[in-house]
Amino acid sequence: MNPRTRQFYGALGVGRRAVLALALGLGALSALPAPASAQGEKVTVAVLPLSSSAPIFIAHKRGYFSQEGLNAELRSFSAAQQVPVAVTSGDADFGITGLTAGFYNLAAKGTVKIVAAQSREEPGYQLSAYLATKAAYDAGFTTPAQFKGKRVATTTAGSTFHYMFGLLAEKYGFSTKDIQMVPLQDVPKMVAAFKGGQVEGMIAPVTVARQLEAEGSARILGWVGDVTPWQLGALFTSPETIRTRRATVEKFVRAYQRGAADYNNAFNVKDTTGQPGKGPGYDELLAIIAEATKQKPELVAVSLPFIDPQGRLLVDDVVRQTKFWQAEGQVDKALDPLSTVDLSFVNGHLLTQK
Amino acid sequence: MPDTTEAPRPMTRPAPQPAAQAPASASRPVRFRGGGFVAEPRRWAALLAFVIAIAAWEASGRLRLVSPLFLPPPSAILLALQGLVADGSLARNLAASLMRIGVGWTLGTAAGVLVGFAMGIWSIARAIGLPAVSALFPIPKIALLPLFILWLGIGEASKFATIGLGVFFPTVIATYSAVDGVPRNLIRMGQSFNMPWLDVLRKVVLPGAMPGILAGFRISASIALILVVSAEMIGADYGIGAFVLNAGNLMLTDQLLAGVLVLSLLGLAIGTALSLLEKTLLKWR
Amino acid sequence: MELFVRGLSHRYGDLLVLDSIDLDVREGEILVVIGPSGCGKSTLLGILGGIVPHGGEAVRIAGEPPPGCLNPVSFVFQDFSLLPWRSVEDNVGLVLEHQRMPTGERRERVEDCLRRMGLLEFRKALPKQLSGGMRQRVGIARALATRPAILLLDEPLSALDAQTRDLLMEDFLDLWKRDRTTAVYVTHNLNEALRLADRVVVLTRRPGRIRDIVKVGLPREDRAGAAGQAFLAEVHDRLWELIKAEARIADREIVDA
Repeated sequence: MNPRTRQFYGALGVGRRAVLALALGLGALSALPAPASAQGEKVTVAVLPLSSSAPIFIAHKRGYFSQEGLNAELRSFSAAQQVPVAVTSGDADFGITGLTAGFYNLAAKGTVKIVAAQSREEPGYQLSAYLATKAAYDAGFTTPAQFKGKRVATTTAGSTFHYMFGLLAEKYGFSTKDIQMVPLQDVPKMVAAFKGGQVEGMIAPVTVARQLEAEGSARILGWVGDVTPWQLGALFTSPETIRTRRATVEKFVRAYQRGAADYNNAFNVKDTTGQPGKGPGYDELLAIIAEATKQKPELVAVSLPFIDPQGRLLVDDVVRQTKFWQAEGQVDKALDPLSTVDLSFVNGHLLTQK
Repeated sequence: MPDTTEAPRPMTRPAPQPAAQAPASASRPVRFRGGGFVAEPRRWAALLAFVIAIAAWEASGRLRLVSPLFLPPPSAILLALQGLVADGSLARNLAASLMRIGVGWTLGTAAGVLVGFAMGIWSIARAIGLPAVSALFPIPKIALLPLFILWLGIGEASKFATIGLGVFFPTVIATYSAVDGVPRNLIRMGQSFNMPWLDVLRKVVLPGAMPGILAGFRISASIALILVVSAEMIGADYGIGAFVLNAGNLMLTDQLLAGVLVLSLLGLAIGTALSLLEKTLLKWR
Repeated sequence: MELFVRGLSHRYGDLLVLDSIDLDVREGEILVVIGPSGCGKSTLLGILGGIVPHGGEAVRIAGEPPPGCLNPVSFVFQDFSLLPWRSVEDNVGLVLEHQRMPTGERRERVEDCLRRMGLLEFRKALPKQLSGGMRQRVGIARALATRPAILLLDEPLSALDAQTRDLLMEDFLDLWKRDRTTAVYVTHNLNEALRLADRVVVLTRRPGRIRDIVKVGLPREDRAGAAGQAFLAEVHDRLWELIKAEARIADREIVDA
């Protein structure tokens, strides 16, 4: 049975999965290659094939999970929204992806809980760019602060783009209502509206931003990591799993932290001149990420995000995210921000540097 | 059987038996063995099944057999719907979507009927049109959304285009088949009485094609409803489709299903309206 | 008016269906065309009426149309060809709508035709509400509404049951006696031919050629009596001999095809 059919039959199994798969029309899934050793306790991980989940890919490939006695199976999804849904439905034990209002709504229903950090926007790391169209730039739209009063393209309300504009607005003392956000569902449509001059600016992933700038249709005004650092993504599981399989979660987070440490040793190093350098295992890890994300290593190398070496969270930002979505009316006001995280699996969580 | 109607030998018939008296003792009554296989109206059955299904759904939520996140019970959906009505967002969303469906459907249908008519009447139009329709019809309109944004922007025009284009091709096919299906002998009849070309078209072809065209409307109206969700992927602040999309993104499943309920009620209303139209226009059938 | 056919041949693709037909249709006669199935009778009629394409000039029309004639050559069709969405009176009125005439006159004409065909009380009915016989009455009324000089009837009774056929045939004759409109009447039914025809044209099986033209030398009003019947029996046998062999072969050919 190929992975797809296996998952199909899995979805037909009684109970909540089937109901959810039917009710929400879950996108097609596909499993990544099986780990070298298929022994131990089985855990499934829902991931997006993106560099930001690199510690998972590294831990998987280097056998850190199996060394913890876990047989980890990675399931790849195509949209961030599907990852917490997979954890909620029980299709995956762990999920790792960007944090959206949809995630916090599931957290409000008590189906997901954050246990460690994934990538974050960090000064000096070029992950998301503030873009202005060439025309708008020429007309004087040259700094991120000028997003006030502009018309911008986003994917959806409740997306990470929405939150980043919220942070920007907070920083420069205006409100999200001062930015006219046009929801276009996905990045290709955002690009289309941007190129067509339908909007004046947007926040875009680095690869898209670079390409648009190279084409001459966009100017990069700055980087989100430099302006408003924040906790972009997280590793999470279900409260149920924490309660009943605490040891498993601990093992999983340990293996994940080893992957994160490897990642930082290889990529997050500066040479003597302060320029980014290559640490131990650079080429091997790059190849692992390239394979998992199905991208060329050169492309991966220029768009590596910052990931905390120990999976430590910016706790205050997670709280701020919850409060922001509640203020925007996207998330149930009854949700206690701190109930979305379990800080006991990682030592020494962080606060945003002011 | 000797006693059937054989005209030349009327006198050989035996005297009729007394009706009340049964014949020889070995006889037996003829049993009815037909029946079944007939569609009879059973309105209560559909209603009952519906009520039971809803009740079971509600119960599964109340008894916590299914998490309300996965399948919100009908009461939660109605509550969400009530909230939408109360804060006026339902009316606003509905108005936006109806306007898009109305304009997009009208444009797409008008163009489709014209092209379909041309293809039904002129061989040259048919020769060009048939392969073109076959090639363009299966293109998923959603895949073209980025192009629509480039061509038409993110305003209403690209939304009209999404719906209009989706409606256009099925209408072309329905109209073309309908015109093609008008009995040729009726057209020849008109011509044999020296009816002018336009009169043949107006008085014979158009009414003759009307049943097929109206059947096409039924399909295209459903397509318009499906596509309003796609259309509202393009920068829509309001609209039932935008509302459903947003609820899905935020994992607000009760709101999502409330939006879906509104869409299907809308479909029901449009279907009923079309049935009425058919009843008036096609009385002759 | 009169029709002249000289050397008419017709093909459907490679298939020769009519071969060298010479025929005159004379003023005021009923000319019946009979022949086995597929001999091209209907095609011949279609060519005479200008609704089957025929390149040549083998068919000519002569004479003056009668007063009030709007369509010199009018058809009565085998399948009635009524518009199902129009009422009886509107089906009849259809053929007058594009003619320049005052509305009152148009209405009068329609009413007159309906009355003559005994349809007046059904004027508002839709075709689906009528029996086959009534529908063909509408078809005839429609043809008459144009006051044609020549009527082309294409197996007008063959879709009807035997009783209706006889009734309608009598009514048609009564009607015809008034105007004595020239008529070409295609049928495969010998009884219709004997009852109606001045002359009977017998076509061969495909390709249709004129096998013979048989004159029924007895006035129509004398044909009903016993003497008439005896006379017609003879003509019947003669016609039957002419077409029997043809029909048999044609039948086999259909099986083979």
